Amino acid sequence: MRERLTRAVRSCGYLLTGLGCGLATLVLLPAAALPGGTARLRRWTGWNRRRAAALLCLPDPGPRDGRLLPWSLEFALTGMITGFATFIAAGRVAVVPVWWLYPEDRPVVLLAPVDSWGSALGYGALGLVFLCWAGPPLAHALARRCLSGPTEREWLAERVMELGESRAAVVDAHGAELRRIERDLHDGAQARLVAIAIRLGVAREALGENDPVAQLLREAHEGAQEAMVELREVIRTMYPPVLVDRGLGGALAALAARCDVPVHLDDSVRGPLPAAIEAAAYFIVAEALTNVSKHSRAGRADVRLARERGVLLVEVADDGVGGVDETRGTGVIGIRRRAAALDGTVSVTGPPNGPTRIVVRLPCAS
Amino acid sequence: MRVVIAEDNVLLSAGVELLLASKGIEVAAVATDGPGFVAAVLRHRPDVTIVDVRLPPAFRDEGVRAAIQARRSRPGLPVLVLSQYVERVYARELLADGGGAVGYLLKDRVARVSEFVTALRSVAAGGTVMDPDVVEQLMSGRDRLVDALTAREREVLALMAQGHGNATIARRLVITENAVHKHVGNVFAKLGLPPDEGGHRRVLAVLAYLDSER
Repeated sequence: MRERLTRAVRSCGYLLTGLGCGLATLVLLPAAALPGGTARLRRWTGWNRRRAAALLCLPDPGPRDGRLLPWSLEFALTGMITGFATFIAAGRVAVVPVWWLYPEDRPVVLLAPVDSWGSALGYGALGLVFLCWAGPPLAHALARRCLSGPTEREWLAERVMELGESRAAVVDAHGAELRRIERDLHDGAQARLVAIAIRLGVAREALGENDPVAQLLREAHEGAQEAMVELREVIRTMYPPVLVDRGLGGALAALAARCDVPVHLDDSVRGPLPAAIEAAAYFIVAEALTNVSKHSRAGRADVRLARERGVLLVEVADDGVGGVDETRGTGVIGIRRRAAALDGTVSVTGPPNGPTRIVVRLPCAS
Repeated sequence: MRVVIAEDNVLLSAGVELLLASKGIEVAAVATDGPGFVAAVLRHRPDVTIVDVRLPPAFRDEGVRAAIQARRSRPGLPVLVLSQYVERVYARELLADGGGAVGYLLKDRVARVSEFVTALRSVAAGGTVMDPDVVEQLMSGRDRLVDALTAREREVLALMAQGHGNATIARRLVITENAVHKHVGNVFAKLGLPPDEGGHRRVLAVLAYLDSER
């Protein structure tokens, strides 16, 4: 009996605090939209879950993961409803000894007026039954609900969002790194090689071809020049310098100028793109235009770039013979590989009599 | 011959100075950015200038812009632009004022000392020197202008674009200078260049090429 009473009192306390906490959650929920609000809301869930764990004699579960808004709404509403019921029941028990102190024309009203020993004792008994028998299971159910973790679906959604964010960060860092390496190679190794090759060239001319050392000098000079060509090619395939100098628009214009087929360029992208996305878009258009030059026998090609809701759209179309065979040549495979590396999608339509259209979508959260 | 250089990389500017000194060419000043270059050009009145495409502060194409700006204050100022890579669109921008005396070469070419100095002298004399890579970009095109030229005329135009005179072209193609003269005339005619433009016609021929929208 004593144990039952202790449980009833503790549950009653939990449910009544739940009424206050529920009200507070509902009032303060809009503040979660403010900067830092989510962190504060998470701490608030942590405090409430500690309270629930204490009731159930469990260890501190920590703040809640997953989406906080549905949890908070449910917590506030269930807490307020059960808390209000507990408040009425407890109130009715409490007024049994004192109901007659209230003036006759203004009795205590707890959903129903308490104006006689009959109503006071009757309602009081009902309240006591509620507190002792319904209160503890209700409080425990509520506490368990409060401690429940995110559903698998919720957890997956959360995970996908986190992965998306970390992926974008990696893409950014990767692009910045490519740029830095390009700059370092250009200012360092490349400049040094040119300086060495100049000295070797000057020395060769000063020495004349008949000197026995001339042969060595010639080899060194030619080797240095070959190294310069190789280094230039490495830099170009890693991060095209024209992207650094002119941005994506200028780089695509340069590609268009090189193409054997007249190219109409429609670039509506404003504002900066991550460097890795720019590089990918550049290589994709380069591959596609190479295909146009080599295979399409087209009269013109259209390149379109647009940003639509966090996605960079790259479209290359031509009016040529079509019949893209993805198993032959590396063009489309290369495009698919580059797009896949950035979580992008590629769609190729090339019926046997043309036209050919390649559409690539690259996620680029800005 | 006096030269002003715009190059922020000390390794490169020292190399180029050494090279020019070995050929008895005087370097009047080395500027490390665009405004410094324009100022040096106005102060030293050089016979020819050498400009790196990438200059501070952003290391993009400040060199091209500085060269164009300097030519606005001193029309016809001979400019030899050096770049890590060559693009046809840059060549077109540099030649846009039609004044000639423009060179556009890969940095690698500097290492071929004699050829580089020949190109520099050619630019100083008002010629147009395009990097063989730019010329290749032009020749790979499928535009109507190229189609209108015979294979031989294309070769002649390619060498013209690289800044060679008739005598050199004749030697390279192992034909007589007279034949070269005839081919050059045909090129001018097919590109629709009027006969009274004098020496500028060679520049205009290259420019017409660069400008040919296909």
